[in-house]
Amino acid sequence: MAGSRDVKRRIKSVENTRQITRTMELVATSKLKKATDRVRAAAPYSDALASIVGSLYAPELSEKFPLLRRPEKVRRAAVLLLTANRGLAGSFNANLIKEARLLLERLAGEGIETDLHIVGKKGVSYFRFRGYPISSTRVDIGDNPSMEDAESVIAGLRDEFAAGRTDAVYVVSSEFISAMSTPPRATKLLPIQGGSGSRGLDNFILSPKAEILLQRLLPAYLRNATYRALVENVAAEQGARRTAMKSATDNAGDVLEYLTRSYNRARQGQITQEIAEIVGGAAALE
Amino acid sequence: MSELQVRIVSPDSVLYEGPAASVVAPAWDGKVGILPGHAPMIALLGSGELSIDHPEDGSERFFVAGGVLKVEGDDLIILTEFGGTEAPEELPAGAEVDVGAILEALEGTG
Repeated sequence: MAGSRDVKRRIKSVENTRQITRTMELVATSKLKKATDRVRAAAPYSDALASIVGSLYAPELSEKFPLLRRPEKVRRAAVLLLTANRGLAGSFNANLIKEARLLLERLAGEGIETDLHIVGKKGVSYFRFRGYPISSTRVDIGDNPSMEDAESVIAGLRDEFAAGRTDAVYVVSSEFISAMSTPPRATKLLPIQGGSGSRGLDNFILSPKAEILLQRLLPAYLRNATYRALVENVAAEQGARRTAMKSATDNAGDVLEYLTRSYNRARQGQITQEIAEIVGGAAALE
Repeated sequence: MSELQVRIVSPDSVLYEGPAASVVAPAWDGKVGILPGHAPMIALLGSGELSIDHPEDGSERFFVAGGVLKVEGDDLIILTEFGGTEAPEELPAGAEVDVGAILEALEGTG
């Protein structure tokens, strides 16, 4: 019977798909493990550096150093969007792109011009397809971003800010809370946050003085913040992919169950029919 | 006598965490020795050897390049761009501290 043969073919195909999604789930799980370790290893350094930089910052320093400036009016902002190079990670890339679009719309609403810088093929192809002007793209950063990658991503944006061509730098990336929770977020990297003026460093010996310390530490701080965003993004991507592939595998299992049932029913129907035909034939002979 | 609580942290790992009787670290303008009860301080690091004297006996040596150290109470945290037990053949970019430029900047700001 044709019906049961078709069902048999579909069962085979769903089995293959399930095999693939299961493998991808396993790969994502092992990459997630490594990426999570890296996120965890990066935390002590970046937390401590952020707290030192935050406590050194004082608003009155902003006039002397380009990197510390705090423009009163923001005319132009740079938005750095971090996405993945690969898809099949559920809504991971879509969420990031949506967050970036919201930010771009908000900035545009405030009359701020924006430069869009994108890391990752998925973000690039989305905005390119939309015909959105993109200032720079990077698709060469893999699953193991290094400090050098971070430096090369942020250097241009930092220099533009220091030169006064942009007045703010935002980063859109995924926050890695856990493998299940990786919300997208837009962080303002520059102008530098914190430093309410109450420095709490009055009795500290500073060597050299605060502004020079800051000038030296800021590039490292920015590089590190970018590194952390890159690393968290990779972990979030793997987490999202694992979740997506797990549910795909589970779905394939459900579909298989349903198909097997219809295959058995078709087979049973066929047997019943054959018996009925034989019985019918025998009855006709009597 | 009190002890220092020392942490040496590089961007991708915590190199050392534990008590120490004293620490000698390479600051940007020369070595700086830190004993328990040191005044609060934040200092830019240069590159060179960092040695930790254990409270009992023995000591440990690290190589650090670039970064910053902070003493507060008896907690010493050393953030270094590059850290390891051996000096690398070549310093990583950005870890080199230009002492001349800092001195010049200090002149400039009075």
